[in-house]
Amino acid sequence: MSRDPGPAVRLRVDPVACEGVGLCAQVADRSVTLDRWGYPVLAAELEPGAATRQARRAVRACPRKALWLESAVPDR
Amino acid sequence: MTGLSAFPTLPGRTVGAPVDGARRLLLRDVRLHRSGPADPVEPVAAEPLDVHLDRLGPRPLGDPRLVDLLEAARLTGHGGAHVAAALRWRAVAAGAGPLTVVANGAESEPVAGKDGTLLRQRPHLVLDGLMLAAESLGAHRAVVWLHGDDDGGRRALLAALAERRWSDSRLPVEVLMGPVHYLAGESSAITRAVQGGPALPTVRRRRGDPRAPRTLVHNVETLARLALLARGHAPAGTRLLSVLGADRVVVEVEQTTTFGQLLAGLGWPAAPQAVLLGGYGGLWAPWERLSHLPVDERALRAEGLTLGAGVVLPLAAGECGLRATADLVDYLASMSARQCGPCRFGLPALADSWRALAEGRDVLGEVLDDAGAVEGRGACHHPDGATRLVASAVATFEADVAAHRAGRPCVAGGSGPSSAGWSSSLPSSAVPASTGPTPGERR
Repeated sequence: MSRDPGPAVRLRVDPVACEGVGLCAQVADRSVTLDRWGYPVLAAELEPGAATRQARRAVRACPRKALWLESAVPDR
Repeated sequence: MTGLSAFPTLPGRTVGAPVDGARRLLLRDVRLHRSGPADPVEPVAAEPLDVHLDRLGPRPLGDPRLVDLLEAARLTGHGGAHVAAALRWRAVAAGAGPLTVVANGAESEPVAGKDGTLLRQRPHLVLDGLMLAAESLGAHRAVVWLHGDDDGGRRALLAALAERRWSDSRLPVEVLMGPVHYLAGESSAITRAVQGGPALPTVRRRRGDPRAPRTLVHNVETLARLALLARGHAPAGTRLLSVLGADRVVVEVEQTTTFGQLLAGLGWPAAPQAVLLGGYGGLWAPWERLSHLPVDERALRAEGLTLGAGVVLPLAAGECGLRATADLVDYLASMSARQCGPCRFGLPALADSWRALAEGRDVLGEVLDDAGAVEGRGACHHPDGATRLVASAVATFEADVAAHRAGRPCVAGGSGPSSAGWSSSLPSSAVPASTGPTPGERR
C-alpha cells in the first residue's frame, strides 16, 4: 500500500448483496455507521488518508463482497 | 355510446372523440375497469396495419443520426423519470456488447392504464418505435416486456406482429411476460430479466468491460412518440393521463390543459382538496397550487412537481389526506422486492409510524426519522418514492398534520378519526394483501 493519498474516492454498497453483517462498521468506523437494523450508512466522501485506508480494508473484509470504492468525481 | 354522458367536453374537443393519428397517440379516450390491466369497458379495436400505413406512410429505416432528432425534439422517457432519450441512446452507443432494446409496457401503478391502452389501440406505432430504436442502435434483440396478467396487451401485440410478418423479418420481436409485481416494470429489473436473471431491481456497479451486454429500456409511449418523430411529425403536443375519479379513464389532452380544466372536463363535481400526481410512488400537491398549472411536464418541474407516468388521483374535499397516505405507504411497503435491508425493514417502519400519525398520535418526528432512514438506500428508487410521498403529504396536509398531532379531528375531514372513504374508492389491487409477495432473496 502506497502512502500516496490518491484521488478522492467514496465507498459504495450494493444493498442487494449486503446482508447487514456489519464488519465494515468495525473496520472503517470513520466512514461507516450502522442503521438501527444493522445495515451500513456510508459517508458521502472519504478524506484521503486514514479514512480511505480503512475503507479499503472494509471492502476486503465484507464477506458478501457488497462494498466497493469508486472515484468521487464521476468519470465522463 | 352509453358511457360518454359521463364525459363532458374538454376545452377544444370532445373527450371520447376520435383523434387525428398524426398529431395524437390514442385513437380515442377510454373508460377502464377499476383495477387490473388496461382493458376498456367498451372495447376499442386495434388499428390495423393498413390503416396505420395509410395514415402515417411507411416506416423509415432506423439510422444512428436519429439521436439528433430526439435531442432536437427534447423527447423524454414517459415511463415516469423523464430522462432525455438522446442521453440514454448516447450512453448505449458508447458500449460494444450485444444490445437488447426493450419496449416496456409493464406499468405497475395500480391506477395507470395509458401504456396498456396505447398497446391495445395502436400496437403498430409502438412496434415502429421499437424497430426504429433497434435498427438505429444496431440491436441484437427487440423485446416487448409486459406484466404476466396483461392478456389483452399480449393479444393485441401478437395480432399486430402477425400482420407485420413480412415487413420486420430481420429482427424478430420477442414478447416477454414478466411477473405481476409492482417492481416488475422497473428498468433494472427488466434488464436483469432479459439477460436471464430474476425480474428484480439491481444496482449498476461501475464496470470497465466494454463488451458487457447492453440493455436499453424504453417505455412504450416514448417509442410511439419516437415513431412519429422519425416520420417527420412535430413532437406531439399532447399528454396521456390515467385519471381515477368516479371512473378510471385514460385520456389524451393538450399539454396546455390545466388540471382545473382536466377535472372539470371529466365531470369532477367539486374542487378536490389535493391531487396525487404520478401514482402511489408519486407526490401530493394541494389543489390551490395545482388547479391553474398545465399538465405539461416541463411546467410542472419548474414548480418542483412531476406527473411521473401521468397518473392523476384527486382527493375529494371531505377525505382525510393522512389516512389516504397511510394506505399508500402500506401498499408501497408491501411491494418492496425485499432485497435491500433498508427498504425491507424501513418501509414497514415508515408505514407504521405514518399510520400512528394518521390515527392521531404525535409522532411526526418518528415519521421523519423513518423516512430519513430509507431515503436513497435501495438498489432501485422504490423507497425514495415512499419518502417523497410522505414528504409531500406532510407539506400538503400541513393543517391536518397539526390537527392530528393535537388529537383534533382533521381540518379537511371534519368527521373525526373514522373517515373511511378514500381507500374504498381505490382499485382493489391497491389494498395490500395481508401476506404480501414472496419473502424474496435472502441467500
